[in-house]
Amino acid sequence: MRIKKVWKRVIIFTVILVLIFLAVVLLVRFTPQPPKEKVAYARIALSEATSNKADTYSKNLYREAKAFYDSAMINWQEENRHFIYFRNYEKVAGFAELSARKAEQAAKISKNNVTDLHIYLKQKIDNLNNIADQIDKRFTSYPLSAEVWKRISKGKMLLKESEVAYRKGQYAEAKIKIADSELLLTESYEKATNHLKEYFNSYPDWKKWADRTIRESRQNQSYSIIIDKYSRKCLVYLGGIKKYEYHVELGKNWVGDKRVKGDKATPEGMYKIVKKFGSNKTKYHKALLIDYPNETDKEEFKEEIARGTLPRTAKIGNLIEIHGDGGRGIDWTEGCIALTDSEIDIVFKIVKEGTPVTIIGSMVNLDQLLD
Amino acid sequence: MKNKVLMGLAVIAMVAVLSSCGKKPQAEIDAANAAIEAAKTAEAAVYVPAELAAVQDSLNAVVADITAKESKLFKNFKGETAKLANVLTLANTVAANAGTKKEEVKAEAANLLTGIKTVIEENVKLIPKLPRGKEGAAVIEQIKAEVATVDAAVVEAQGLFDKGSFMDALNKVKAAKEKAEGLNAEVKEVLTKARIKF
Repeated sequence: MRIKKVWKRVIIFTVILVLIFLAVVLLVRFTPQPPKEKVAYARIALSEATSNKADTYSKNLYREAKAFYDSAMINWQEENRHFIYFRNYEKVAGFAELSARKAEQAAKISKNNVTDLHIYLKQKIDNLNNIADQIDKRFTSYPLSAEVWKRISKGKMLLKESEVAYRKGQYAEAKIKIADSELLLTESYEKATNHLKEYFNSYPDWKKWADRTIRESRQNQSYSIIIDKYSRKCLVYLGGIKKYEYHVELGKNWVGDKRVKGDKATPEGMYKIVKKFGSNKTKYHKALLIDYPNETDKEEFKEEIARGTLPRTAKIGNLIEIHGDGGRGIDWTEGCIALTDSEIDIVFKIVKEGTPVTIIGSMVNLDQLLD
Repeated sequence: MKNKVLMGLAVIAMVAVLSSCGKKPQAEIDAANAAIEAAKTAEAAVYVPAELAAVQDSLNAVVADITAKESKLFKNFKGETAKLANVLTLANTVAANAGTKKEEVKAEAANLLTGIKTVIEENVKLIPKLPRGKEGAAVIEQIKAEVATVDAAVVEAQGLFDKGSFMDALNKVKAAKEKAEGLNAEVKEVLTKARIKF
């Protein structure tokens, strides 16, 4: 009887255990499973995107991927609070999938952007270095304003900073710097080039004057002088053939014609030597005075006064000479043309009163110059 | 009858214990998060970004594991608690590394700032010696303008340094130094050509 009772208890206990086991198995088997793998995949994709610097080079997609991942985690935790049988992980899976997709896109775009930026920045840096070189080459002696030179300097400095950032792989920073540098350098370069183009509008006149001077030198078998202001050259012709070529220094504001006394500009036009001053007659070693202002200059001056582009109190300049004391390397005269003492010695010896002196902006046109 | 009730209670207790014996290691998660925040405050994102990203990813992985376990009937967070301890240690290391790297960058920036001042001083001394001849003097004014720009960049870099933005200061002063050295070389070349002692 006692054994039967024990057996009965064992059987009941076993049945209860089996029922509990079955209940647990059923509960576990048929309860919704969280999308663990999908979330892990999304996390790894996000991590990959981070190592590909997507947070910098594909910001929006990366942010979206991160937000979807956070939403997946929050939803998952939220679902965990429900009774095991009533959980629904569909949203979690959806957010995780979206996060993974966005993260993969972000990583891909970031990689592409980095590659593109690498190429873009290299080209921009080369291009701007080229512009900086062109500025140095063409405008070193050009009377650009101090403000323009300041902007050029600042542009060059930013270019250097962008190069440093580029070398360190900090492309986003390099891009910002290069944009600032480009603005400063291209703007200054364009401004200077436009100024130069405007100046070269007078080229047809210059060419006409130069051709006439050389032709007359040939016809008369005499000396003639042409001053090319842009290239800073004093060209001495004999019989239409260039015999000497010297470097000259001019007035600080050499671009354009002389308009008024004290404007530190060197006049442009066809002149003649009217007086020669030996070493005891000038403080500039030796000097050749030209007939500036001639009749054309006087007419132009009067017209400017009449138009009101010059004040009524303005005075026309005079005493423009080719003289010595040059070789300083800067444009320092009041509008005269300075040679070194040894060079003026030679020119002084060969020319006479009446020798033509033609002062022009340039012997070559702008296209040739820019090439 | 009494025995049956006791047995039933024992079974229920066993199930209860098995299904909820592990408690979510919230304190450890908070500690790891705080350590990562401390690393961010130590500017790990600037000085050791890869390390910071790695530790953040480790924490995300552990949190995902914990959440996965929370979904289960039977929970045990022992392994995750240990992992969180590792994340905490790692985060502290990242913060320390960020500090070390920051000090290195600070020292490098300070050295460059001192070095560039010497180059600038030398430039200032050399410029008046430039010949007023054809090769040199035409560019004196521009060199002066460029020296002034370098000066301004150094002032800016010093400002960033004083503010504690050592990485930005380093980048700026590196560029300024290259520029200053370029000018220095240019000036010395002109002086050498003109056979002027410097």
